[in-house]
Amino acid sequence: MDKTTHFGYQEVAESEKAAKVAEVFHSVATRYDLMNDLMSAGLHRLWKRFAVAQAGLRPGMKVLDVAGGTADLTRLFLKEVGDSGTVLLTDINFSMLREGRDRMLNEGRTPPAVQCDGERLPFPDNHFDCVSVAFGLRNMTHKDQALAEMRRVLKPGGRLLVLEFSRVWKPLEPAYDLYSFKLLPLIGEVVAQDRDSYQYLAESIRMHPGQEELKAMMEAAGFVRVRYHNLTAGVVALHKGFKI
Amino acid sequence: MIAAGLIERGLNHLVQQTPGAAATLRRHTGMSVRFDLALAQVDLRIADDGCFSEAAIDTPDATIRPTPALLARLPFLGREALRDADYQGDAALLATLDRVFRQLDWDVEADLAPLVGDAAAHRLHRLGRDARDGLARALSGMGHSAGEYLVEEVELMAREIDVARFNHGVDELADAVARLEARVHRLEQPAA
Repeated sequence: MDKTTHFGYQEVAESEKAAKVAEVFHSVATRYDLMNDLMSAGLHRLWKRFAVAQAGLRPGMKVLDVAGGTADLTRLFLKEVGDSGTVLLTDINFSMLREGRDRMLNEGRTPPAVQCDGERLPFPDNHFDCVSVAFGLRNMTHKDQALAEMRRVLKPGGRLLVLEFSRVWKPLEPAYDLYSFKLLPLIGEVVAQDRDSYQYLAESIRMHPGQEELKAMMEAAGFVRVRYHNLTAGVVALHKGFKI
Repeated sequence: MIAAGLIERGLNHLVQQTPGAAATLRRHTGMSVRFDLALAQVDLRIADDGCFSEAAIDTPDATIRPTPALLARLPFLGREALRDADYQGDAALLATLDRVFRQLDWDVEADLAPLVGDAAAHRLHRLGRDARDGLARALSGMGHSAGEYLVEEVELMAREIDVARFNHGVDELADAVARLEARVHRLEQPAA
């Protein structure tokens, strides 16, 4: 029998999770940015800028944006690496990737956009100076495999940035739960006409490893000097690790 | 993590703005330096392009422990950068870092220009520089006045105890005058 994994609070066969996640993102792709702004009151822009500031990028560097979706990080990375650098936008979901690619085209930029699975990256070993995954690892079926792949494509000395929802500060949990399970699906229903996808979002955040667990997973995948920084009382955490 | 990111980003920004700094550092490509701060250690490696790159290092080639005295001297503006720091490790690397750090110069105008335009950046920079110079002059003037007061004027000023002693003397004199007046008044009266 097929192994099972979680899809929000549901247990599903591992082989089904990717399709179910794809369904969610196909559904929300066109309203994704608007919903991000509404759900986080614009804070996601600051979280992403903070992540880019920790990337230590300089002109000429090569960056891989895994699960880059609507290209928020890619666009910020492009400013850092300049014309001599390369930023590859990737996502497993075509709808999300198309949104990101079109957005960059509308801004007059044409960086490469590649549809691929974060767990099987079609890039050579030791190729990128920096790999990032923002709000994407949570949706991957085999997180350990994805982290190992990201490590494989990083150059020695390169760094991985994982920006992801995490464990909120304990005293804020009741309010955060109320917001996540009551208000968030309601916003989803009103703005994106999709309550279920935002219910999944809230559930998947709860099922995702906390700060210390993710740090341990990164270390198990071979990253060293893994550190994390909580943002907005732990609603989101940025993990950074190096390949040696 | 924040300190490491800020130091890496800040240093690289200055290195890229300072002519010759990256080229000088490139001679030590691959070597590593540890900034041993009070609360954190920041390990940086000199990358191929002469910039600093945060790295995971067990044994750095050089270690620098900044001291409050060193931080108080920022920016170095041509002065010895590592004079007040504790440092150890590769002498050639440390000498290069000292030379590069003292050359680093923040081009504020260049950083403001993309945000507010060239003309406004120039004016803002000039305003900031004038304000800084004015503040420095005011502080220098205050220091000079305080020194002058302490060295010369304080000796001429009456101390509190002297004022109290003077007031006491005045009171005693007033009493004596009152007694004398009373005696003179009694002597002037015809004898009964």
